[in-house]
Amino acid sequence: MLALLPQLVVSGTSTGMLYALIALSMTVAYRATTVVNFGHGDMVAAGAYAVFVFGLGFGLPFLIAMTLAIALLFTAGFAAQRLLLQPIVAGPHLSLAMMALAIGYTVRGALRLEWGNETINPLRPYPQDAYLFGNIVVTTDDVVIGGCVLLLLAALFLLFQVTPLGKVIQATFQSQRGAALVGINVPLFHALMWGGGAALGAIGGVMLSLITPLTPDLGQWTLIQGFAAMTLGGFGSLGGAVAGGILLGITEKLLGFYINTVFIEITGYLVPILVLMLRPQGLFGRRAVLRV
Amino acid sequence: MKGRRAFWLLPLALLPVPLLLNPYQQYVLNTALLYVPVGIGFNLVVGNLGLLAFSNVAYFGLGAYTSGVLMVQIGLPWWLTVIPAALMGGAGGAIASIPALRGVRLFYLAIMTLAFGELMRWTYIRWESLTGGSMGMAVPTATLFGWALDTDRRRFYVFLALVVLIVAITDRLLRSRFGRAFLAIKDNEIAAAAMGIPTDRYIVLAFAWGGAVVGVGGAMLAISVGHLTPVSFDLTELIRQFAIIMVGGLASLAGAIVGAVIITAAPQVFISFPGFDELVFGLLIVLVILFLPRGLASLLARLHPAFVERYYRD
Repeated sequence: MLALLPQLVVSGTSTGMLYALIALSMTVAYRATTVVNFGHGDMVAAGAYAVFVFGLGFGLPFLIAMTLAIALLFTAGFAAQRLLLQPIVAGPHLSLAMMALAIGYTVRGALRLEWGNETINPLRPYPQDAYLFGNIVVTTDDVVIGGCVLLLLAALFLLFQVTPLGKVIQATFQSQRGAALVGINVPLFHALMWGGGAALGAIGGVMLSLITPLTPDLGQWTLIQGFAAMTLGGFGSLGGAVAGGILLGITEKLLGFYINTVFIEITGYLVPILVLMLRPQGLFGRRAVLRV
Repeated sequence: MKGRRAFWLLPLALLPVPLLLNPYQQYVLNTALLYVPVGIGFNLVVGNLGLLAFSNVAYFGLGAYTSGVLMVQIGLPWWLTVIPAALMGGAGGAIASIPALRGVRLFYLAIMTLAFGELMRWTYIRWESLTGGSMGMAVPTATLFGWALDTDRRRFYVFLALVVLIVAITDRLLRSRFGRAFLAIKDNEIAAAAMGIPTDRYIVLAFAWGGAVVGVGGAMLAISVGHLTPVSFDLTELIRQFAIIMVGGLASLAGAIVGAVIITAAPQVFISFPGFDELVFGLLIVLVILFLPRGLASLLARLHPAFVERYYRD
């Protein structure tokens, strides 16, 4: 039994990388705007469908299709924030959450209208293969997804920690009024970060389209897994989103193998419930829960 | 407030309506009726209490499956399963209020309750011996004191009676000190607690009554559709219910009614295009939030003061 442990950790990490990417894309938009995007799962699904349309529909090479899909989602996220969220940004939190939800619902409806009756097979524009390291099997999927996520992580880490933009992000997250006072164009910045979050989500969607069949309801599952990873790592923490995602992937494989396979399906539901009850700040987040 | 008594004319006016409808239209009207309690229960927590609890489909499913399972496994007549369905829905609501009592708020609460709803849906899929799994379960014909509710027209009168009862009780509840406490909690929870309002007790009560009412809606769904599947309680359904209160009007009984009718009737127009209803409702919610934050019910309130509800302040 224990001999399989390294294998489970490796394949769990591979799935977890995907969760990490989705949680990270949600965290970026949340950090900038302090609005949780309940429509984000559908943005990810839209990204997956976009790469399918550009790649198979228009017959473009995969990398170009991917670039176009990311650009499309960036524009959509930017426009959604500018046109729909900015007008009500001063309103109650409830309206903002509902607006995000409604946007996602609209996207899902559009996807179902076009592709409701078909299941689209995974794209896999590279040969499928498996490599043996000792007694651990690593598939091409693991390598491609792991590699892409690691690259993105490095780029984002640099962006947030080293560049001036990172400081702007941090400043706006801490105090929007203060950021505005020192000359940061907060609304434009919010729109940019929503675009950025949607673009990152699109990359997650592209990764998903490589390995899973696409259905219009893909966004539901994505949203829950992303939330689970975010709460596990701590809301708003970028490192936490990544650690939470990977930990979620490993946990679900370990529980699934050693206890019962049903845990593969429900870990994503149980984790946010348990974490928010027992340790609301997650592993790396700050405490931000109201008590009366 | 005098004009309020005229509202009793609405159910009276509905009594002869089945004579004008064909069976399909009757089925749509029944569906609209069963979504009225669903909207009322959701609105109580999200609108009146102002808490982002997204587990409405959990209570809906609990009510529907409780009714269905009791009829199939024990052979109870439908009318005897309505109370258990309400109790199970209420229990679901009470469970969903636990994180709220522990101080979880905003989207944290939304995420937890969302996960709770999905966990329940997974339970219906997995507990195959009771629920029939993802293939679903057939619900036998309902009876009321031995009278078979085998047509949509017969079910209509039972549904109408239940809905009137639920609307009347909830209206009383909201206009009593309970409703005022909800309003105080929504406006400022800390201030409400400081004024001596036992906020925890009222939060549990709102969740439990909301859940119970939605559970009755579930019991109505069980016999109206005659076949229960877990898909009926997924996130897409949650957003449809959500559309009811957003489009109809937050914290408004009239809003839940108007929303239920629109969200049920509108998809029938484009039923042959799956996905189109989601597209339209999504856009509808967007437009309502942008231009009519209190929903369509606020248009009614502009028409006549009797429609002004005191459960909410801007």
